[in-house]
Amino acid sequence: MSSKPTEGNPLRAFASQIWGSIFRHGLPTTDKVAARTALTNFFLHVHPVRVKKSAIRVSYTLCLGGLSFFLFILLTISGLFLMFYYIPSVDQAYQNIKDLQFVATFGLVIRNLHRWAAHGMVITVWLHMARVFYQGAYKPPREFNWAIGTFLLLITLLLSFSGYLLPWDQLAVWAITVGTNMAKYAPIAGPYTRYLLLGGRNVGQGALIRFYVLHVVALPLIGFILMVIHFWRVRKDGFTGGL
Amino acid sequence: MATVVGDTSGDTGEGEAVPVARTASVAVRTPRPRGTGPELASMPLVVRRREEEETVVTFPALVWKEFLAGLAMFIFLLGVSIQVNAPLLQRANTAITPNPAKAPWYFLGLQELLERFPPVMAGVAFPSFVIIFMLLTPYLDRNPSRRPQDRKVAIGLFTIYLCLAVSFVVIGVFFRGLAFNWDWTRILGHPGITPPV
Ligand code: HEM
Repeated sequence: MSSKPTEGNPLRAFASQIWGSIFRHGLPTTDKVAARTALTNFFLHVHPVRVKKSAIRVSYTLCLGGLSFFLFILLTISGLFLMFYYIPSVDQAYQNIKDLQFVATFGLVIRNLHRWAAHGMVITVWLHMARVFYQGAYKPPREFNWAIGTFLLLITLLLSFSGYLLPWDQLAVWAITVGTNMAKYAPIAGPYTRYLLLGGRNVGQGALIRFYVLHVVALPLIGFILMVIHFWRVRKDGFTGGL
Repeated sequence: MATVVGDTSGDTGEGEAVPVARTASVAVRTPRPRGTGPELASMPLVVRRREEEETVVTFPALVWKEFLAGLAMFIFLLGVSIQVNAPLLQRANTAITPNPAKAPWYFLGLQELLERFPPVMAGVAFPSFVIIFMLLTPYLDRNPSRRPQDRKVAIGLFTIYLCLAVSFVVIGVFFRGLAFNWDWTRILGHPGITPPV
């Protein structure tokens, strides 16, 4: 697995050169190699090389932050598939969802997966916040990361909320009507905020396209950037570790 | 950190940079703990003591756990998705208002408050207060200890908040019926004696 050419078989030598150019180190057999593997791999590099033993006990983080991120990835991938079928138009959206359910191969399962993962992410992010609070992990030097986390919670809720409208069924439209009515009550800015969000006075085509753009572009992008900062801070500050 | 991963000094991911001279790196050979990864890495695992905290290599020990957690979650969700379909009602019709009209479940707490308090309070002041208070929490809580027994007030307040939030959601989802009134059938098993609406 090193980039050393393998004697004899030219095909193996070629394959081994390709492998070696991508993965600089073999599977870790010693700590030193393990450290280098983590350092030279882009995806592994979000982790520190070493972590406190007490911090990675499953009973400590309950994997909740990691699972939130995993669900985010899962939602991105399943959402991508849904986008191939979905047209954000009040005349077509509902039929697109029906087609997804009854015509497209695996469409039903992908839609279900996207829906349940979205609910799941709201729950895991919420529980992650609770675990961070109960362990006092927001205390210095992690005050700022807690603030980033607060925004991540809001983004998660907004992502879920904006997605709720897209199927354009009775559940969707009325939930969004009730939800956006709450915005109306803010003094002075309220009615304007609602108008801005809906692109009109009622939940109609204007609202659908706005929610769609927020749901598939703006909010995931903001969320992703916040997550990158969040992870970077976790990495720099280290895990809080056992009590 | 010099003995084991000398070429990565300063990159151990711990917050405080410990001067190399001060670091007493004791390479303790211990049998590798079970369940920390596939049988690839460092047998036996070298564990260093630094400020009395044992550390392990992230890869594969932590990455393996993350992988397993993700896999378990994926299998669980796939199972649910095969069994339970996401809801899809009639095509949207702005002329027909469903009764009750409910917000998504995670906003039912707010809807519950809207039933009880003036809208400016419930819809605006209260959520803003929660967000601002959350942002300020680490700065307001000046207690340096992280041990639960030293944080009775903080833990108590937060637990009350969590319980309220959860019960409002549960009430909203299961026990609110027509016009967002109490659904006595759901609660008592019979309609009860409700005043005529
Ligand atoms: C999209 C949402 C979020 C994702 C993907 C996420 C991800 C993570 C991950 C992977 C960790 C590492 C430890 C662990 O797995 O528990 C972490 C730690 C942390 N998170 Fe989050 N998080 C999110 C939301 C939040 C929220 C809502 C808060 C609080 C308001 C928060 C505050 C923190 C803090 C303070 C830490 C450091 C904890 C420690 O050092 O023990 N995060 N987060």
